[in-house]
Amino acid sequence: MKIENFFLAVLSILVFTACDSDNDGPVLDEVASDTVANLFAPQSGGQDQGPISGEFTKFDFATGLETTSATDWDIAFRGTAIIINGGASLGTIDEPERTGNGAAYIATGTFVSVTEADDSLFVQDSGSGYAIPVGSGNGWYTYEFMTNTIEPIPGRVLVIRTRDNRYAKIEILSYYKDAPEQITPEIAADDLRYYTFNYAYQPNEGVAQF
Amino acid sequence: MGQVLAIQAQEKPQDSIPTIIMEALDEVVLTATRTERQLSSLPLPVQIIKNETIRSTNALRLSEVLNEQTGLITIPDFGGVEGIQMQGLDSQYTLILVNGVPLIGRSAGTLDLNRIALGNVKQIEIVKGASSSLYGSDALGGVINIITESPREGIQGSITHRSSTFDIHDTNFLIDYKKKRFGMSLFVDRYENGGYDLTGENGLNSLDPYSNVTINPTITYEFGENTKLNITGRIFSQKQDLSIFENQGEANITDWNSHLRLTQVLNSKWEGLLEGYISRYKADEFLETTNGDPVGASDFDQLLARPELRLIYKGVEKWTWINGIGMNHEKLERSDFSETPIFNSPYVYSQLDGYLGQKLNVIFGARFDAHNSYRSQFSPKLALRYDINQTYAIKGSVGYGFKAPDFRQLYFNFSNSSVGYTVLGFNAAADELEELSDQGQIANIVVQPDVFDDDLSPENSLGINLGMSFTPSREISAKLNLFHNTIEDLIDTRVIANKTNGQNVFSYFNVDEVITQGLEVESRWQVSESIQVSGGYQLLVAKDQQALDAFKKGEVFARETPTSSAFQLEEQDYFGLYNRSRHMANFKLFYKNTAWKANANIRGTFRSKFGLIDTNGNNYLDRFDTFIGGYSIWDIAINKSIAKNFEFGLGVDNLLDFTDPQNISAIPGRIIYGKINLKI
Repeated sequence: MKIENFFLAVLSILVFTACDSDNDGPVLDEVASDTVANLFAPQSGGQDQGPISGEFTKFDFATGLETTSATDWDIAFRGTAIIINGGASLGTIDEPERTGNGAAYIATGTFVSVTEADDSLFVQDSGSGYAIPVGSGNGWYTYEFMTNTIEPIPGRVLVIRTRDNRYAKIEILSYYKDAPEQITPEIAADDLRYYTFNYAYQPNEGVAQF
Repeated sequence: MGQVLAIQAQEKPQDSIPTIIMEALDEVVLTATRTERQLSSLPLPVQIIKNETIRSTNALRLSEVLNEQTGLITIPDFGGVEGIQMQGLDSQYTLILVNGVPLIGRSAGTLDLNRIALGNVKQIEIVKGASSSLYGSDALGGVINIITESPREGIQGSITHRSSTFDIHDTNFLIDYKKKRFGMSLFVDRYENGGYDLTGENGLNSLDPYSNVTINPTITYEFGENTKLNITGRIFSQKQDLSIFENQGEANITDWNSHLRLTQVLNSKWEGLLEGYISRYKADEFLETTNGDPVGASDFDQLLARPELRLIYKGVEKWTWINGIGMNHEKLERSDFSETPIFNSPYVYSQLDGYLGQKLNVIFGARFDAHNSYRSQFSPKLALRYDINQTYAIKGSVGYGFKAPDFRQLYFNFSNSSVGYTVLGFNAAADELEELSDQGQIANIVVQPDVFDDDLSPENSLGINLGMSFTPSREISAKLNLFHNTIEDLIDTRVIANKTNGQNVFSYFNVDEVITQGLEVESRWQVSESIQVSGGYQLLVAKDQQALDAFKKGEVFARETPTSSAFQLEEQDYFGLYNRSRHMANFKLFYKNTAWKANANIRGTFRSKFGLIDTNGNNYLDRFDTFIGGYSIWDIAINKSIAKNFEFGLGVDNLLDFTDPQNISAIPGRIIYGKINLKI
């Protein structure tokens, strides 16, 4: 082959490759990232005051807002319990019906380092337990009985499949109102069950990166 | 044991003016080898606290004097009970003996050092490093042996009273008598503590008021030149008024010991010793509302009986061969137990102690403890000391230590009524889990069902000490000791099942491995006839192996502020175990004026920052947690004799009035006291 022909060949490959990436099907929506502050998730009962009850506080990733919809929610909070709109009820009082295909698992890493959802790890809520386990050290928090405080475990990222098969990730930052630096005994007793969390939501179906 | 020998040794007339020498070179120690040994010649790290020191510092309870020793610190546990931390090991890993036999009653693992009055203590011996080769269970970190006074020739008595801030009052009375073959002594102490509340508002006292009485009689009798009998009794009774929020209650402790020792010189080479010891510890407490409705109650009743026979051979010059055989019989009745456990543990031990040549001292010993409820233990120990010359000596020891699983770890059956979790002892777990499962309380079982088929292993350690002593003159001495302890099979709780109420069932397993290492330096300078200065320092690194691995693998994260994202921590971010200070130091100055019949001293202790709990949710103590700052405590004391029989003392403990109401409930603040002592 002559040297001119070789250059021509190389040039045409480069041009075609460049063209390939230019006309790349439909344009994707951007990943939505935000921080939710003071999402209040009250409960009644528990801690020796009878069985736990009360409405769950529901959250919809598509809007990034709290919701009271019976169907259009992805995750919901009540006290330290977090449920998913997918699977079956554990059977506690006031637990909403699951209408979607949601699922979840807990990844270890920084919020930024968890870049992709792993489909093989997803679990749904069931009659024997939630996808995000309850109890100190089992799921997203530890309970320190000396100070009576709930601390989110740093480095735990909740990876969520939404009700309609999108992916999201959550890093819970605080369980107390206005995410105080110092959790005093008063705050521990009175200002609990206010979630502050970071999340990222991939609105495009079938895309597992966020 | 060698206590009888000590009686002979101390029959020289006692110096009536207390000397201020804390640790003279010819001091005799019993604990290190179970025979009399000169402190200065031992291959092990040993400290002695003499009666004179205790008297000139006006200390009342054991915790006060131990706190001032190099590398030792008293740490309160959750119940407020103060135990000792030695070489970075928790208080349940140090054996506490009185005249060579153990005190019992570790209801939550910690032996309360405030139970021990000091008024009739002759000396306190502290042996560091694993010593299970002689003492069996619990001697991982070391052994503390409290030696009480034996009757002295003639008749003498004394009454001492000390009163101070916080309504602490102590009155004690000691009388002893000896004539020819018969000797007896009686020590009675009454201690009262008014308690205190540092925080003021939360409805809990930092310390609830309590009072206790100790009665300690001793009888000695010599049947002849070669046969000696020693009988000691000890009764301790304590009552504490509890006040928790609006609830009131009471905590009572009764501790009862009797100890008999018969020594027989068989011939010029052999000596025999028969020892019997029975100890019982009862503790009960209750809480009730103002209407008298019960809120909670618990009781604890432990019995230990121990016969032991010892044969000592001294047929070879400069060698001692000591052999022992005995048995521990233990029983415990306790609330929240699945049964009333009985432990029977026969044991044998043997130790050779002697010189190879002029300069090399060798101690080699081993002990075997058989057991019916956990794995039997073989504990060897080797110690060497080489005297390079008059000034320098090097020494080293390697020993195995173990701590038997306590009754709680084997037989606990406890469900928390407010939170709803359950804790089961290892031996009780299989049956109880089945029962909970039958009751429909179990959602799923996390462990394999056959994990409970094996026995739980005792926690065990390998302790290495390497030291050097420098004694350029009688006035100056310095000691350096490097230590390294590896504790394996540490027993901790682990989840064995999830309950349907969302809580967990825990049981005890051999999980953790902990390493503590560091160095100790102690020095003493007799500046003049009347002034002595001493100082000590300990560097400590105490780490959990599993935690270290988690940091290495990058599984641990932290957040800088509550609203910032988590970041990954590195190995060097791991601080170590809770409640360990990297640096601890002490300084003491003792002054004596013979002409004025007076003495004075100033003592200071320092500990650097430490962490009590994980404050950032990752379950480990790391650099980004909130620490409790370092602090120092300074004490002063002045004593003066008037006439022949009367002495008075004044002093201030915690001169700078250090307190930390949020984090340290065991330090009440400045204590000002006065003391009078009358000899009869």
